[in-house]
Amino acid sequence: MLLLITPAAAILLLFQVVPIVIGANASFRDWTLYDPKKTWVGLAHYGAVLTDRAFLTIVLPNTFVFMAVSVGASLVLGLALALLLNRPFRGQKVVQTILLMPLMVAPVIAAIMLRWMFNDQFGIVNVVLEGLGFEGQPWMAQRWTAFSVIVLTDVWLWTPWFTLLLLAGLQSLPREPFEAAAIDGAGRWNTFRFVTVPLLRSIIVVCAVIRAIDAFRTFDIVWTLTGGGPGRSTELFSLYAYVYAFLNLDFGKGSAAAMIGAAIILVVGLGLFRALDRLVEVSR
Amino acid sequence: MSLLRRGLFFVTVGVACFFFAFPVLWLGLTSLRPQSGVYYVHRGTEFTLGNFAHVLRDERIVQAFVNSALISTLATLLSLMVTVTSGYMLSRFRGVLSRAWFGTIYVFRCVPYISWVLPLYFVTQAWGVYDSYPGLLLPHIAVHICFFSWLMKGFFDAIDPSMEHAALLDGCTRWGAFLRVALPAAVPAIAALSVLCWLFTWNEFLFALILTGQRTPVITVVMAQFVHEMGIEWHLMSATAILALVPAFILTLFGQKYVIRGLRI
Repeated sequence: MLLLITPAAAILLLFQVVPIVIGANASFRDWTLYDPKKTWVGLAHYGAVLTDRAFLTIVLPNTFVFMAVSVGASLVLGLALALLLNRPFRGQKVVQTILLMPLMVAPVIAAIMLRWMFNDQFGIVNVVLEGLGFEGQPWMAQRWTAFSVIVLTDVWLWTPWFTLLLLAGLQSLPREPFEAAAIDGAGRWNTFRFVTVPLLRSIIVVCAVIRAIDAFRTFDIVWTLTGGGPGRSTELFSLYAYVYAFLNLDFGKGSAAAMIGAAIILVVGLGLFRALDRLVEVSR
Repeated sequence: MSLLRRGLFFVTVGVACFFFAFPVLWLGLTSLRPQSGVYYVHRGTEFTLGNFAHVLRDERIVQAFVNSALISTLATLLSLMVTVTSGYMLSRFRGVLSRAWFGTIYVFRCVPYISWVLPLYFVTQAWGVYDSYPGLLLPHIAVHICFFSWLMKGFFDAIDPSMEHAALLDGCTRWGAFLRVALPAAVPAIAALSVLCWLFTWNEFLFALILTGQRTPVITVVMAQFVHEMGIEWHLMSATAILALVPAFILTLFGQKYVIRGLRI
């Protein structure tokens, strides 16, 4: 019995637990790459991060807005597409394959594609806008347009993930409640609201929470699309920690930021799970 | 009315397909344009395969493809070996150890990658595996352990244990019951996880960015460097990106049915 988890536990210990302990230790020390004396400084880094204006007024709001908008939009879109695909029509298989396409695209590649499409001089988006008589936007040079492109990329990448799991869920639902609803003369909306959603409840909650936790630590698409810019206005939490540790070479402060983020997401993840679970419970 | 509804339905489907397919198609079109025409993708009629030839002549890119393919394949094999047993244990055994292990992987699933990949940089350097295959492989396996053990537990939960009990009564050892009865029954789930695991590893970026350097380039990092160092060479970048999509595309095409079947349990 112990033997069954030994390899997994050993790898987890060496490559996840040990690094986290070292990171926690580093977050209490003055640990810079060019001056590795590692003096103990206590909670100084935590204080510095928690009073950093950039962290409080840009990074944290960005991260939470990103998480809420991106997960909300992909959940609604994903559910809509799953419902669309759940009934047979001609070409259903082809449509399904096309809709699931982003699942195989690396986030880095998706970011490159969107960056090219939203290029201010040669991107197709501005070409079309100008063709229609609107003014082209310098998408990546303004805070909110750049942020919107990041969110759009994330929605594009992860909607199919929701579609896939919700479609699998829809197809495994029992038929009887739907037949009963039809006999009782329930319309489409009422059937959806009072039969489909309650039956899919647990899948919806689990998918949304897992995705929210992953959205919180998004790194690759921001790094490739904007690198946190213009200025530092689109930095998310992972990028903030990375910039401190590897660009400013202040490993102690970077680790402290990473620890604070880990603490936030553990609390938020748990709270989100409870809240969502109760929300869906109440709605039925 | 019904005609209107049908029309509306197909317009919605059309818009959705366009939204999800267009970026990939546009990238494909860009990759086929010569350098002189790349900034006016929408106008030209001149097409070339020269970009692909150019990219494939670049040793560093070819090296990155080979590294990514090898690491993804090895990570898939090794991750499944350790998570199948761990998921089986979670599903079949009750008790303190089982609960503790479940709690551990549940908590570690939530820890943001950045919190352990930063110090991992020092750990791999101290152990002399930085910028090498094991230095990237083992952390990748660690990434997969939590999520996949959790999924494997779900799969084994759905398999009726009475067959294993029968095997035990007939004189099979516990290991024998696992290897001869439970494992073959879990093959569809294992197939689904292999596809997912290969794709995750092939597409992963943050670990590769921090844990590899000059000696072991991988494809996602090389592409991101394109953006930052040679941000203007869109024709070469799209060709590289399309080449990186091909293996994932083939795998998804053949693996799709296993994934959908495997996840439905």
